[in-house]
Amino acid sequence: MNNVIVYVEQKNGTTRKVTFEMLCEARKIADVLGGRAVAVVLGSGAAQVAEQIEGYPIDAIQIVEDPAVEKFLLDPIVHYVELAAKNLGPSLILVPNTLSGRDLAGRLVARLNAGIAADVTEISAANGRVECVSPKLGGALVTHCVLRAGDYGIATIRPGAFTVAPGGSGAQIDRLEASNAAYPLTIERDVEEGSGEMALEEAPVVIAGGRGMGGAEPFTAMLKPLADAFGGAVGASRAAADAGWVSYSLQIGQTGKTVSPPLYIAVGISGAIQHKVGMRASGTIVAINKDASAPIAEFADLTVVGDAFAIVPELTKLVTAAKQ
Amino acid sequence: MKIVVTVKLVPDPNGVKNIDPATKRLVRAGVETVINPYDEYALEAALQLKERIGGDSTVTVFCMSPESLKESLRKALAMGADGAVMLSDAALEGSDVWASAHAMSLALKRIGFDMLVVGGLTDDGSTGAVPGALAEFLGVPCLTNVRKIDVADGKVRVERETDGGYQEVTGALPMLVTTALTIGEPRYPSLKGIMGAKKKPIEMLSVTDIGAGDAVGAAGSKTELLSFAPPPARGAGKIVTPEDPAAGAATILAFLQEKKLV
Repeated sequence: MNNVIVYVEQKNGTTRKVTFEMLCEARKIADVLGGRAVAVVLGSGAAQVAEQIEGYPIDAIQIVEDPAVEKFLLDPIVHYVELAAKNLGPSLILVPNTLSGRDLAGRLVARLNAGIAADVTEISAANGRVECVSPKLGGALVTHCVLRAGDYGIATIRPGAFTVAPGGSGAQIDRLEASNAAYPLTIERDVEEGSGEMALEEAPVVIAGGRGMGGAEPFTAMLKPLADAFGGAVGASRAAADAGWVSYSLQIGQTGKTVSPPLYIAVGISGAIQHKVGMRASGTIVAINKDASAPIAEFADLTVVGDAFAIVPELTKLVTAAKQ
Repeated sequence: MKIVVTVKLVPDPNGVKNIDPATKRLVRAGVETVINPYDEYALEAALQLKERIGGDSTVTVFCMSPESLKESLRKALAMGADGAVMLSDAALEGSDVWASAHAMSLALKRIGFDMLVVGGLTDDGSTGAVPGALAEFLGVPCLTNVRKIDVADGKVRVERETDGGYQEVTGALPMLVTTALTIGEPRYPSLKGIMGAKKKPIEMLSVTDIGAGDAVGAAGSKTELLSFAPPPARGAGKIVTPEDPAAGAATILAFLQEKKLV
């Protein structure tokens, strides 16, 4: 393989931060492999997203503004990415490790008879082979796996794992014709419940609350202001989600999301293995806990022992002041 | 309606995970083998569907696993599945996503199904890519992350969770669905269920039975696993017990400023 394809996930003309991370990484790999870096953007809003990414160091952007992407579940996307891949021949396909990115990747494995490396945090290439590093079992193990030169390869990319370095000479935009085909699964309704909150996986700072919060109110009244002061997002342990204090979409851990922000602050979270595997790859971990013997103190970089309800508001004030 | 549920057998996720320093593999010895917790939600969804539809609906459990773990599958039968099929063969060891999904699809074509229910994620380091690949190999639509399923006259209507909300999606049988945890807590097996499970059939299939040929195991895979190793350990940091909350907050701020995080 020598070309690299980036699948650009977009909705209503906006894309995720991981897109830019993938575009920059695609350039590096394509240069080593001696091939092209091509982005594929699909659906209504594709042209808008193409404008946002054309300043990044890729060779071409393929856009297909087919309304079928919003009308049918995933199948149109699988179709167009497969088409782009088959036009380029054995290539590396970068897909974000998100809910729909994982679904797309699985489908492509069979369509392209491809190898896959999941939740990739490092990539290197040599002689047409691509080597991927992925943490497994919540980071308890790290695997190195090779996508073979003669086959298609897919890597689902962990958001936040690669750095963004803009700079490019303006990619060529190829507008492809929509096929106007029909697909088997129809989206009858698409309901947004989130209030435009920052995606937990992409937040630079995560403030997570656990059993020690005692109810729903501290998440909005205490943790949210601290997250806002940092420009971050609020997360939770399984105990808090199970108790119904927050939605499961905020749950971090084995049965929830995996995050690795530069800064993770765990408030009233004991740090059981279930939670640890979802956040242990964070850059710096700070714990605020009333119990010095809580498991989280064994792997946090700083544990402050005390009453979170008194410390957090103080910290919010200090951070707000320090940022001004 | 014939409902088939795929389950995976994994070391108890609540047990301690030990890595053998020589083989870099998960040590299974001494750790109880259980049904992947996510797959119990898939089984629960299948059992509820069977109960709602009634008639001659059946739930069959499918599992690709070493035969030695066979008895761990009894819990699924005790929960209410009517029977199980196991694909067991030493040749399958080391299969990657492509090879696993390919072999599973051959077995599932043989078993036959109207609806295939798959758990959302596996608990032992898999990728979340198997359901999509499986659906493609089987040539059926793939509806993921489903929290509510209605089936009537071969038409399926589901609610599926998305990043920021949910979608209502419709399609037709046969299809593959994967379940979200919000589909409902798995039931506990009843005493009657446990007794009855002992008599329920577990059919065994081999690689020869499904005609997978050489497309199995490490040699039949599309990826090469180079290494499997624990990452550098994360040591414990500082533990501070401040005099008062203000001092605690100041300690955190100073620490973050030192690391240039504020």
